[in-house]
Amino acid sequence: MNDERRTNPGDMELDRILAAEEPLIPSSGFLASVMERVHEEAVAPAPIPFPWKRALPGMVFAVAVLGWGGFELARAGVAAMTTVPLTLPQISAAMIGPLQQTGWVAGALAVSLASWILSRRMVGRLG
Amino acid sequence: MTAAGKSEREDLADVDLVLAGDVRAFEGIVRRWQGPLVNMAWRYCRDRSRAEELAQEAFIRAWRGLAQWRRESSFSTWLFALAANVYRSDLKRFPTVDVPLKDAPEPSHPARQHHALAAQASSDVVRRAVLALPLRYREPVVLFYFHEMDVAAAAYTMKLPEGTVKARLSRARALLRRRFPQLEAEHAAMQFAEKEVEG
Repeated sequence: MNDERRTNPGDMELDRILAAEEPLIPSSGFLASVMERVHEEAVAPAPIPFPWKRALPGMVFAVAVLGWGGFELARAGVAAMTTVPLTLPQISAAMIGPLQQTGWVAGALAVSLASWILSRRMVGRLG
Repeated sequence: MTAAGKSEREDLADVDLVLAGDVRAFEGIVRRWQGPLVNMAWRYCRDRSRAEELAQEAFIRAWRGLAQWRRESSFSTWLFALAANVYRSDLKRFPTVDVPLKDAPEPSHPARQHHALAAQASSDVVRRAVLALPLRYREPVVLFYFHEMDVAAAAYTMKLPEGTVKARLSRARALLRRRFPQLEAEHAAMQFAEKEVEG
């Protein structure tokens, strides 16, 4: 019992009840059922590893292209800023409605994406 | 050679065979540990079919992770820790009871029934009430009594310091005592009955 000796009658009664548990005998088919699953696992083909060697050059190329594109875009933007006079864009009244709706749809999509990512992370943490 | 020593050697031999590619050698491991693993799961959920499902899942995880056993502790210690992890994760996702401890039923009055039956019913109620404890207190209780009241073994299975396990056990007992104040009286009655039998 280690050093968990108690004198409280309530605790002693708890010990008596919780320590004296009738052992449960596994059902007759339990062993066979476990071994069946083990055999299934053994014959199942191993998961195909991700082909990093093949994918890596492509991924590096894609990142480089995106980076270069971003850099060019930023450079063009800075150049345009210096030439274009700073005036507010003129938006016609007819365009305001559709633009507002597009904004709401984009916002809703962003919230959905955020909640999906959050729920996946929570499930991963709990599981 | 003691039974535990023999079992340990058999485990080692079977693990080596499995790692060498002999799938059938795993049967020896399941045969030796099916009882303890099913009983441990039973204490976690008190549902026979679920206990067997959980124990099966623990064996499958052990099968997959056998190569990760570093042999620093005994095979059974590693297996129990792995099983506890499986049971804990599953019970977090699908809790056994939603009844709070304060709503756990009272044992029926012993005077109205045969004493042995009443004692049995009362014990069952207390065992089920353990499931209504918050998980952080429930698991130390489950594993402490599963390991025949060995705090060190329970702490190792939970991968927690012994002091933490002792503190949680103490808190769990306090919660159970508060819920079942008649335990003291039952203990006194039990001792009285034993003295009567001896006399």
